Amino acid sequence: MNLFDYKILLVDDEGTLREMVVGFLRQAGFHQVVEAESCRAAEKMFAAQAPHLILLDVMLPDGDGFTLLRRLRENSEIPVIFLSARDEDENRLRGLGLGADDYITKPFLPEKLILRVKAVLKRVYRAKETREEETIVLGDCVVDLGSGVVHWNKKEESAADTEVSLTAKEYAVLQKLSQERGRIVTIDALCDAVWQEGNYGYENTLVVHIRRLREKIEEDPSHPRYLLTVRGLGYRLV
Amino acid sequence: MKYSCRKVVRLFFYGIVTCITIVFLLGIVNLVFLGIGFLIYQDMETYYISGGDVMEALTVTDDGYVLEDEMIQMFENRNQWAMLLDRDGKVIWSIKKPDELQDFYTQADIARMSKWYLQGYPVHQRVWDDRIMIVGLQKDTQWKYTVEFPISWMNFVKKVWLYLVLNNFILILILAFLAARRFTKKREEARIEWIAGISHDIRTPLSIVMGYADTMERSSELSEEARQQAAVIRHQSMVIKDLIADLNLTFQLEDSMQPLRKEKVRPAQVLRSVTASVLNDTPEEEIDISLEIAQEAEQITLYADRKLLVRAFRNLINNSVKHSGKTDAVKVRISLWKEKRRCFIRFQDDGAGYPQETLRRLKKRKKDAAAQDIRGLGIVKKIVLAHGGRIRFGNDEKGGSDCLIIFFGNK
Repeated sequence: MNLFDYKILLVDDEGTLREMVVGFLRQAGFHQVVEAESCRAAEKMFAAQAPHLILLDVMLPDGDGFTLLRRLRENSEIPVIFLSARDEDENRLRGLGLGADDYITKPFLPEKLILRVKAVLKRVYRAKETREEETIVLGDCVVDLGSGVVHWNKKEESAADTEVSLTAKEYAVLQKLSQERGRIVTIDALCDAVWQEGNYGYENTLVVHIRRLREKIEEDPSHPRYLLTVRGLGYRLV
Repeated sequence: MKYSCRKVVRLFFYGIVTCITIVFLLGIVNLVFLGIGFLIYQDMETYYISGGDVMEALTVTDDGYVLEDEMIQMFENRNQWAMLLDRDGKVIWSIKKPDELQDFYTQADIARMSKWYLQGYPVHQRVWDDRIMIVGLQKDTQWKYTVEFPISWMNFVKKVWLYLVLNNFILILILAFLAARRFTKKREEARIEWIAGISHDIRTPLSIVMGYADTMERSSELSEEARQQAAVIRHQSMVIKDLIADLNLTFQLEDSMQPLRKEKVRPAQVLRSVTASVLNDTPEEEIDISLEIAQEAEQITLYADRKLLVRAFRNLINNSVKHSGKTDAVKVRISLWKEKRRCFIRFQDDGAGYPQETLRRLKKRKKDAAAQDIRGLGIVKKIVLAHGGRIRFGNDEKGGSDCLIIFFGNK
């Protein structure tokens, strides 16, 4: 199933905002978007339409989103992204294991919303789609993120030499960098991505993985053109 | 609810003021009440004519006892009576004596009347040589009661009365303190609730403004000028968004109603993340940040609210960009190091520095920190202070701004 074939249910009591968000989602390619303006309407819509993801406003006229989520979660694992307009909500979202997949604080930019929606869809339903399609092109080098194999488009070398596999750690580093392509990713964020949270002291190990990764994807590993070091901060994939 | 020292002092001050006001008001109310009573009942005054005075006005002549005219008049005016008993209990003189009273009294009668009433008449006695002068009022005009206490009890009361008064005062103080706290808490809650409500109501429409402005900015169908205008709208919406966040944060920090969400935080990591995100979001021609983290500072952990730290660091960098007064990129130097258990973070730039007026305002302890021109920096200060840290704003020798933050770390 294609990423854009997933059905999204938008729950918000503000008609103008719904109209706008639906517009953004359609524009981004999501052609199946349904809406509801209250908890009751949302539950009905949920039963009738079986959406794949819910964008849920916290404050609704007939209850709050947290309660609705709890009710939905009784017999469904559907991913939910909260739209919240209060700082306190953010605290609750961070503090409680409500089972929300993500949250966006109003006001937000459409780009941010679309990114979050895509990210959650990919994370939750990844087994079924898109992963195979993802490749990173770095000049002559193409990295297939589905299989973790690096292909080199070099004519003079033999086929066996042009394919290199990435280790799990290198793969994690590259995936994180490509998600934020063009942006600086801090050492800490990379360590979190590779060794999960709460680990530090891995910076030196990270440097080793980066060096090995460069050997695989850069033409000249000592003068990298794609995987750049940002001194004192982290790395950037351009 | 968390209390700073200053807050407790303030509440106590309110308490004392309230307490004094209550006592003062009660005093006034009582005085007014008693005064009115006095005005109503004063003409019924029935206090005894003094037995001594009567005796002085009494002279012995050959015809017996004679009372001065003035004193006779007084007995008439006050409607009192008097009689003089000799050593055997016989009435030897009297004035206006009620008819029902007898002319002879036993020792038992005298003992009884000295404590209570004489056949229902309230009386006072005065012993004169071997005679007794009895001055009486009319029936049902005076209430009397004899009071007795053990000496030991009186001694005890003499010793502790001061503490008792003090106790009462403290009790009133505590009550007033509780009342004041309750009152201020309620008021603060209402205010915060109101602010939160307003900012909530602003955010939804602002989402729509921002969203459409962003779409228009990217639209290829619009003219360059229209796109520019859309960009301005979007940018200004972001400014409003920041203002709302500032507003919420200011109240949160000022009133300490919402506790800080403290967790273990590595400042090195927070600084890197803030720097990276600023660099990612700001065009290169506007800013150049160098971040220097000392090797030994890498491991420092603070017990802090990460979100607030991010906010503080971001505000400092934003301030450098906004007020650099430079046409090219402002150079910001951030350094982190530690000395013993203290963690130092320093933000310097090569811009125009902080204006003197800003520095003056930032030094003040007052709520002035919420003033418009230093709002962002005021929040930085509040955040640092809320974490028990110290902060110093200044300008370096080249004129650029120089802000030093000190936190007291775990390790």
